[in-house]
Amino acid sequence: MFFHIVLERNMQLHPRHFGPNLRDKLVAKLMKDVEGTCSGRHGFVVAITGVDNVGKGLIRDGTGFVTFPVKYQCVVFRPFKGEILEAAVTIVNKMGFFAEAGPVQIFVSNHLIPDDMEFQSGDIPNYTTSDGSVKIQRDSEVRLKIIGTRVDATEIFCIGTIKDDFLGVINDPGAAA
Amino acid sequence: MSVDGDSSPLSSSGSDDFAALLNEELAGISSDESLEEEADETDQDHDGEEEEVYEELNVEDADFAPKRSKRQRLDMLDDDEGLHCSTSLEPVSQSSDVSVQLEICAHPSLIKGMCVKCGRMVDDVSAVALGYIHKDLKVGSDELARLRNKDLKSLFRKKKLYLVLDLDHTLLNSTHFQHISPDEEYLKSQTDSLQDLPNGNLFQLDSMRMFTKLRPFVRTFLKEASNMFEMYVYTMGERPYAMEMARLLDPGKIYFDSRVISQADCTQKHQKGLDVVLGAESAVIILDDTEYVWRQHKENLILMDRYHYFSSSGRSFNLNNRSLAELKRDESEPDGALATILEVLKRIHQLFFDLEQDDDLMRRDVRQVLKTVRSEVLKGCKLVFSRVWKIGEQVENQRLWEVAEELGAICCKELDASVTHVVSTDMGTEKSRWAVKYKKFLVNPSWIEAANFLWQRQPEDSFAVNDSKKEH
Ligand SMILES: [Mg+2]
Ligand SMILES: [Zn+2]
Repeated sequence: MFFHIVLERNMQLHPRHFGPNLRDKLVAKLMKDVEGTCSGRHGFVVAITGVDNVGKGLIRDGTGFVTFPVKYQCVVFRPFKGEILEAAVTIVNKMGFFAEAGPVQIFVSNHLIPDDMEFQSGDIPNYTTSDGSVKIQRDSEVRLKIIGTRVDATEIFCIGTIKDDFLGVINDPGAAA
Repeated sequence: MSVDGDSSPLSSSGSDDFAALLNEELAGISSDESLEEEADETDQDHDGEEEEVYEELNVEDADFAPKRSKRQRLDMLDDDEGLHCSTSLEPVSQSSDVSVQLEICAHPSLIKGMCVKCGRMVDDVSAVALGYIHKDLKVGSDELARLRNKDLKSLFRKKKLYLVLDLDHTLLNSTHFQHISPDEEYLKSQTDSLQDLPNGNLFQLDSMRMFTKLRPFVRTFLKEASNMFEMYVYTMGERPYAMEMARLLDPGKIYFDSRVISQADCTQKHQKGLDVVLGAESAVIILDDTEYVWRQHKENLILMDRYHYFSSSGRSFNLNNRSLAELKRDESEPDGALATILEVLKRIHQLFFDLEQDDDLMRRDVRQVLKTVRSEVLKGCKLVFSRVWKIGEQVENQRLWEVAEELGAICCKELDASVTHVVSTDMGTEKSRWAVKYKKFLVNPSWIEAANFLWQRQPEDSFAVNDSKKEH
């Protein structure tokens, strides 16, 4: 799920950036430092949408670096238990399959794949229904439900299920071929 | 003042606002169910500061499904259109179904400590780590048994068995740059392009500072074996090496997929085990040049004659003759070890699936078939040994005696008319002279070793006993 929240961060800036473009430099550095990172608290920072306030800089003794407290708005993404996500399948094996929803990795075990889907090994491992009408393989897009999340300092990992109504393949690259 | 903010980007008062906001939204809605969940989740190994917020979020996690409408509102707290959540609605009753499931879950396997079936954090110390499938995957023993059984059925439908392949000295030979001998320097100009993996057999791997030579026939071997077996690589090498070798052997990724097991996956030090292989032991054949690492699975093993291409490789096994590379020679493609063993594998495969008696495939055991095929190699031979081991040694326990019997020969201590071969190291012994006199085969012990590796009775005249008198 996405959230739009306000965060604060102390930015350290080299003295060479001081001048008329100071604020721009600060914002550019903020984006570079923060976008794409993950924290256990908020999830992934997807994008910075605005800078609310840049506080008074504090000069560091000896180095000349200045620390600015910056308050900024950003969009964060954090999956929750019970949430429905759309994800792209990355790896398929006997145990189940892995999928990605943006930066989040999700594992769907064969326990949570509908019983009528069987694992087929071979060049392109996949799960297929007995009549062959539905197939999950690499690059398939699936709609799944999160049943467990583990949030670490740098990554979020989820357990998902497709064994429920309205879940499963929503786009199968193999079908088009 | 501290500038720690720079290294941990998101620690700030903003996060407290965030957590506080969530709490506010969810205040007064914690049911019994959610409290239970919370207690469950607090076991997690999160450190310090983060944990605090994590728990708060989890309270909210547990309540998420029943409180969908609240969540929806929470989502809308920003009026920017692009920021809608990606959730969709589902009947509230679904969530209670899930919680019933949770209570009876056997936690079959775990990823990052989370049960793959119910999503809860579980601590199962007995679960076996299958790091080659996913670095954080652990599978419980019941689940392993279930998976193996299920897999066996689908494998048999395809008329396949499992084949576990060692790398070094079995499928290939590698050496470090610095161990190349002067007479092997010429190889540096003869390596094959890494752009054309399927056709090369000698590679220079700069990142590992290593040369790798694939054993002759290996590509044909893998292609044909893949029709009869689901194949694993199983090496005592480290994972990056194992992956690189798998890439050389299987550039199209059609033979091994994720089935590349390396040292870190072994559950016992210096031992390879089938415990990390998702295949029933009764359907696994192993090819390896090292016997002792398979202490638990000798009956599954086909011992391979070692492939030493580089001089450094032979030296590490105390072989001091010139290497194949130095001699600018190589093992024979059509008659080498891999071609020979492929024929054996074909025969085992055929026997396994074509047996007419007892129709239940699931109850067949490839170890039994292996034993049968082995026992046909020296069938009809009756051996007497002479000066092969020291006086007073318990001959029945000797390896050579054991091997000969496994190959189907009858071994005995005394001479009689039914004896067909005398295995000796010396022409001059009484038994050797008896063999000559009665026109029996007189062979040196390598005759048995060769039959053992080649799975075929070898021509006796190639294994004549040295005449010690003539030599002096
Ligand atoms: Mg080896
Ligand atoms: Zn469970």
